[in-house]
Amino acid sequence: MKEQISKKLGIVETRFPGNRKEYLHAYYTFQDYGQIWGMTIFVLLAASLLPLVIMTIIHYQLIERSIDTESLLRTERLASNARRAVTFFLEERLDALTFTANEMSYRQLSDLTSLSTVLKNLKLGFGGLTDLSLIDDTGNQVAYAGPFSLEGKDYSSQPWFIECQKNNACVSEIFLGYRDVPHIVVAVKSQRPDGRFYVLRATLATERLIQTLSSFRTGEHADIFLVNREGLLQTPSQHYRDGSQHVTIPVPEYSDRTKSLMTIDNQGHPIAVGYAYITTNIVPTTFVLMVVKRKESMMKVWLDLRAQINWVFGVSSVIIAIVIFLTSSFMVNKIYQADREKAKTMALAEQNFQLASIGQLAAGVAHEINNPLALINETAGYVRDLFMIKQQYKDDQELIEHIDAIIDAVERCGTITRQLLGFARRFDIQTQAIRLQDMVDDVLNFHKKEAQYRNISLRVNIPDDIPDIKTDRGKLQQIVLNLVNNAFQAIDDDCFLEISAAMEDPEHVELVIRDNGSGIPEEHLSKIFEPFFTTKKEGQGTGLGLSITYGLVQELHGTIRVDSNVGEGTAFFITLPIEVDKEMQS
Amino acid sequence: MVLLVDDEQRFAQMLAKRLELRGIQTDVFFSGEKALKAVEAGKHFHVAILDVKMPGISGIELKRKLSQADPQMKFIFLTGHGSCTDYETGICEAEDYLTKPLKIDRLVQVINRLVES
Repeated sequence: MKEQISKKLGIVETRFPGNRKEYLHAYYTFQDYGQIWGMTIFVLLAASLLPLVIMTIIHYQLIERSIDTESLLRTERLASNARRAVTFFLEERLDALTFTANEMSYRQLSDLTSLSTVLKNLKLGFGGLTDLSLIDDTGNQVAYAGPFSLEGKDYSSQPWFIECQKNNACVSEIFLGYRDVPHIVVAVKSQRPDGRFYVLRATLATERLIQTLSSFRTGEHADIFLVNREGLLQTPSQHYRDGSQHVTIPVPEYSDRTKSLMTIDNQGHPIAVGYAYITTNIVPTTFVLMVVKRKESMMKVWLDLRAQINWVFGVSSVIIAIVIFLTSSFMVNKIYQADREKAKTMALAEQNFQLASIGQLAAGVAHEINNPLALINETAGYVRDLFMIKQQYKDDQELIEHIDAIIDAVERCGTITRQLLGFARRFDIQTQAIRLQDMVDDVLNFHKKEAQYRNISLRVNIPDDIPDIKTDRGKLQQIVLNLVNNAFQAIDDDCFLEISAAMEDPEHVELVIRDNGSGIPEEHLSKIFEPFFTTKKEGQGTGLGLSITYGLVQELHGTIRVDSNVGEGTAFFITLPIEVDKEMQS
Repeated sequence: MVLLVDDEQRFAQMLAKRLELRGIQTDVFFSGEKALKAVEAGKHFHVAILDVKMPGISGIELKRKLSQADPQMKFIFLTGHGSCTDYETGICEAEDYLTKPLKIDRLVQVINRLVES
C-alpha cells in the first residue's frame, strides 16, 4: 500500500526493501527503509500536529467557557431586570392598597360608592386592577366594587386570606376562584378602631403581568415566565410546558438573589436558566421568575468562529501532512540511495580485495605447478615415444591410451595455470595510441565467419570524435576478445552483438559490449568476476575468462561492471582512462 | 644441431631424449653460463631452445649474448606463460616461443622450419 502510494506520487523512486540486491544486504546501514519512512512520517506528523490539536482543543474550551460565562451573565441580567419589573408591579399595587387602607377609614371603605370611587382612582393611577373588596376578620366580604357580583362571599378558608392574616399582606398565586377567570389577589391587612382587623383586597388581571414579562423576551428560544415553587406555570411558557401546566425543567433551589445556571432541557439542548424568587418589600410571594435561553441561540458567533477554526485547522493539517510526506519521502529516499551507493562501494572494495588475494595465491600456485607439469608432460611423452618406437609395445593400444590420458590431463592443467597467471600477472604496461574502431574491427574479424553463419548481426557504434586512447594494446584486445567470446557463447542465432563507445568525461571513455542473449541470473552477477566461477559443464570452461578480463581492466586502471537481465541480454561497461600513464602517475 | 638450455634438469633431459628420438641432435645445458661458454668456445648450433626464467643469466639475456656470439643462430623461447603481445619485452625477439607444458610435435615443427629457413 505504502509502496503503491509512493510509486503513484513518483517520489520514492525505488521501493526500498524489494529493490535491494541480496549480496548487498550486509553492507546496508539500515535494514528496513520502508519502516524508517513510515516512522519518520508518523513522528513528524505527531510532533507537528499534536501541538496544533492541543492548541485547538484548549481554544475550544476557552471560548466555550467564556461563552458559558457570558450567556449566564446575560441570562442573569435579563432575569434581574424582569424580576425588578414584576416586583415593582406587585409592590406598586400593594403600596396603593396600603395607602388606601391607611388613608381611608373602615367605614368609608365599607361604603360601596366610595369603594367604587377608590377603585376608579386606583385604575386610573396604576391600572391592572379588576376589582376591590373589603373583607372583615371573619372572612366575610363586606363590600365589593367591580364587574362581578361577589357580595357576601366567604373567604375565610382561602389560602390568601389565611396568609394575609398571618403576614399583614399577601400576594396569591394565579387562580380561577369564584369568578372562573385567572387572576392574582393582592391584599393588605389593617386595624379597625375597635381593634378588629379587616382586609382590603384587590384582584389583578394577569394580562398586564404577562405583557410585562413578554416585553423582556428577546431572541429565538428565549422564554420568560413565572412558576410557583411547585413548578406550576403562572404565566404561559412557549417551550417548557407539559400537559398539566407544569414547567418541564426543574425549579431551581431557593435563593434570595437573582441567579443563573447551565443545564439541559428535556430535549437534550443545553440551556442557560436565570431565576429569581419574587419577594416584595411587604410580603414574600410564591412566584419564581424563570428566564430560559437555549445555549445554541446565543452561540452563533462562537459557532461561526469554530467553523473558521476548523477550516484553518483542517487545511493546515493537510498542508503539514503533505509537506511532511513529500519531505520525508525525499529525505529517506536520499538516505537510501546514499546507503545503497555506500553498500555497493563496500561490496566492490571487498570483492576487489578478495580478487587481488586470490590472484596472488593463484599466481604462486600456478608457477609452482607449471614446472612439475612440464616434467610430467615430457616424461609421459618420452614413455609414449618409447612405446611407439619399441616393437614389443607397439600393438599395446591400451597402454598408449593411458599415457595419452596423462598427457591430456597435463594439457588441461596447463591451460588452467596459464589462465591463472593471466589473471594475476602484474607486468609493465606497454602503452601506445590505439584507435578504438580499428581495434574493435580487428577483434570482430575473428568472428566474422561465425556471425555470418549464425546470422548474428554485429553492430559497431564508435563515434569519430572519440580520441585515440593511449593504453596497452594487447591487454585491451584481450579484454574485448574475451567479452566478445563470452557474448558469442551466450547468444542464440539471429541475435545481435553491439559494441559502442562514448566519452564518459574528458579523461575517460566508456566501452559497452551489449548482446540480447540469454542474460545472467541475478544471483550469479556478483560472482562472475571470481576465478573458477562457471556455469558450464565440468571440463568445458575453467571459469577464468571473466576474472582475467577483470584483472586486465584493473591493470589498465579502468573499471568494469555488468548489467544483465535474464532473457533480455547482458551489457558490460568498461571505463578506461584516455591515457593510462597519466592515471598511473596520479 | 639444437641447443637446449633449461635449469629444470629432468625436464631438459627428457625433452632432449624425445628430440633425439625424432632425429634431432640435441645438446643440453642446465645453465646459461655453461651454454654461453660452449658457444663462445666455437660450438655451432642451428637452433637454440631457451627457458626464459632461469637463475643466473635469464633466457632473454642469454639469447642476446648468443646472438652476438653466433648471429646465424635461431631461437625458440620456452615460457611458463605469456605471449608476444602482452608478455615481457624480449619474447618477441626470438623467432618463436612456446608455452610449457609443450606439445612435442609443435616444437619439432618449429625447429624444422627454422632449420630449413
